Amino acid sequence: MRDPAPTRFPLRSPTQVMRLSRLGSLHQCRLSFMRVLTRTMAAEGWRFTRPVFNIGGDGVGHAVYSATGPERTYSLVAFAHDLPPEMRSDRVIATAWDATFTLFDGVPDAADIDRLSKNVPLQEAGRVSEREISVSRANRSVRLWEHFVDALAAGQQPDPRKTAAVGYLMRTTAVYGSGKLGAADRETIANRPELAVPFQAEMLSVYLTRVFVRDLVQHMADTRGGDQAATLDPAIAQSLGIGNSTGLGMAPFIVNHPVLFNNWIMAREEGIARVRAVKTATDTETATFRALLDRSALSVAHWRSEHPIQVEKLTALRADMAALIAHADTADLTTSSPWNRLYDWAEATLGEDAQELVASLILEPYPDLVDGLAACMADDNADAFRIDGAVTVAATRAALEASFGWALAIDWDAPENCARAWYVSEEKLEPRLGERFDEPIAEYEQPLAPARDAAAAHAALADRAGDQPIATFLLAHPDHRHTIRRAQIAAIAPYGEIHDNTISAAVLPIDMLRAKLAFFGATHFDPRSDRWVRICMYAGAPYPEDLSPATADHWIYPEVET
Amino acid sequence: MSFSLNEVEVTAKKAARGAGYSWGLAEEAGKATRWLCAQGLDGCASLAALLQEPRHASPQLKPGIWSASGVLCPLVTGAALSDFAAQLTEGPIRIVDVAHPQLLLPFAAGAARQTGTVLTLTCEDLVAHTDGAGVDLTHIPSPPGTSDVTVSMGGAMAGFLPKQTRATPDPAIWDVLIAFAARTYAPATDASRRLGAGAGLSDND
Repeated sequence: MRDPAPTRFPLRSPTQVMRLSRLGSLHQCRLSFMRVLTRTMAAEGWRFTRPVFNIGGDGVGHAVYSATGPERTYSLVAFAHDLPPEMRSDRVIATAWDATFTLFDGVPDAADIDRLSKNVPLQEAGRVSEREISVSRANRSVRLWEHFVDALAAGQQPDPRKTAAVGYLMRTTAVYGSGKLGAADRETIANRPELAVPFQAEMLSVYLTRVFVRDLVQHMADTRGGDQAATLDPAIAQSLGIGNSTGLGMAPFIVNHPVLFNNWIMAREEGIARVRAVKTATDTETATFRALLDRSALSVAHWRSEHPIQVEKLTALRADMAALIAHADTADLTTSSPWNRLYDWAEATLGEDAQELVASLILEPYPDLVDGLAACMADDNADAFRIDGAVTVAATRAALEASFGWALAIDWDAPENCARAWYVSEEKLEPRLGERFDEPIAEYEQPLAPARDAAAAHAALADRAGDQPIATFLLAHPDHRHTIRRAQIAAIAPYGEIHDNTISAAVLPIDMLRAKLAFFGATHFDPRSDRWVRICMYAGAPYPEDLSPATADHWIYPEVET
Repeated sequence: MSFSLNEVEVTAKKAARGAGYSWGLAEEAGKATRWLCAQGLDGCASLAALLQEPRHASPQLKPGIWSASGVLCPLVTGAALSDFAAQLTEGPIRIVDVAHPQLLLPFAAGAARQTGTVLTLTCEDLVAHTDGAGVDLTHIPSPPGTSDVTVSMGGAMAGFLPKQTRATPDPAIWDVLIAFAARTYAPATDASRRLGAGAGLSDND
């Protein structure tokens, strides 16, 4: 029997958790937004239909996929295009894509489709309305797409090795929500229970996109092969995910949303602490852990990247997985706070990547302790923005020291400590990272170096009386206002600040990208450079016809052949 | 054209930054403009007008009266009103000659939330109350260019302006904000095109 009321266990400290190298080693877990969505849809018995599939033999046209929950219906409106290869780019500078999408609030009528057909294919150059919740686009994996169409049209199944080497037929290159391009604001949907957890609309859009892509490749094969064409093996279809290419645009997000990011990290940390506090595990719980450990090792084995940094990380992670499996084979995972002992062993023995994998994996046997924390992951604290001017200078100094004590002694004028600057380019209005001393960008710098700014504010406060209200300082020094705001936010959101230098010569933006994408539930991070990463989403997930409480959760771990 | 309130906030923040405000005050401008639009007030017009004027003064705070030798900036003064909300417990504050006083409303709303009371704002013959969540203007006034505003604790809300989820600024006004926002963008260089976003590998794979 598990202890019904586990003792309180301390959360890991922000000092430990919020280092970039650790954030860049995060893995998905029970609280990842894709898994929250599939569990919700299965538990609530969502219904799925395809009211429109109007795609010609040339692969051009549109389709509608509707998902209906207890109260509302959402529809993915998909437009399929004929894209010349020379126009295919995952970068935000692209102007055309293989497919474009919007998630519509309800079921669109013909007039809606007509309006959307004139805007959604244009993406950033178009406008949508409050009826639309997200806008996105996807490009084919050219080699896998052609292989699938060729094989199926010839009456054969695709080669499993080629399928595994890529993992998806299309990859999204942007999924815009939260009012972008004129879509509905987050605030207009945040009070709907099914969308209360962050990014549920975007995750639904990608889930339905995967269904569309499967149907489209079959349609193209049927068109080419006629009666000869084979139907795609459902097992191969299930192994496919949707790829995603994510660039720098996402990296500032976690700096710009400290309360939201805090809530994600804190929910997971609370889950980890609760499970570490479990004194005795049941046989079922231990068996769940062991089974998912084996499946997790298989997922790591399937993980491919050619990027030198990731190759090195994967080598270390695979060695650590072998050590972990060997340890778990003989370790007592039942008595004497088994998960705390396992975590402590991992922290003492394994690298950060494997430590975080263990931290995520020990949550798996405990849906009752963990899953409810998803409800805490949204940011509904609109008042956190407002500065409390009555807070004293002394308290403000203490708050800055709590989050940025490590940063106060750094020489922020030394070139290596401020080598980079985040800016927004005139061409595509997207965040970029440049070399401060080589490019004319410093005057356009975005406020994405909270540690440097905190050190500057701390220095400016040095000769102020401790009992003075911070309001007086702010009136005289408006340049520090954004930093004082962050310091007050950090007091209620201790995991909202990265404890590393985001403008150093050594910063790796892919660490910031991975932290965010891991919370989405992404796997198989494949950096294409230090600031650009490909991932896979929903690989192994049940399609709507197979979605049930039995299939909705552990799909993220590939099945081990027996 | 109809814009999401997020678009309003982001554009207003960038525009204020482009006009030379600190990041912290630019953030305030974004939130304030959004708040006004959410009440159905034309926050974009007030902000665009402000940004096109020479930079106005910061207030000198004396008990009960905030003023400067020139016209007061409503963003700096508004931020101070929110930061010094506790001073309202000592009596009304008269803000002398503030530009685009409508921009003070969102900050007064913040002060109302902070003090937990309704605040009354008097501006010429116009009286508005805010409890932090909304504002009870009975009609949408054409805001004066500059005016004195007196802020005091107490008063009673007489209904609300209905909340809006979209903003429909005049296109010419929106263009002003977009033009100021553009000043925050770095001109593209070969280096930034090549390196800034860090791609480089083909996507035709």
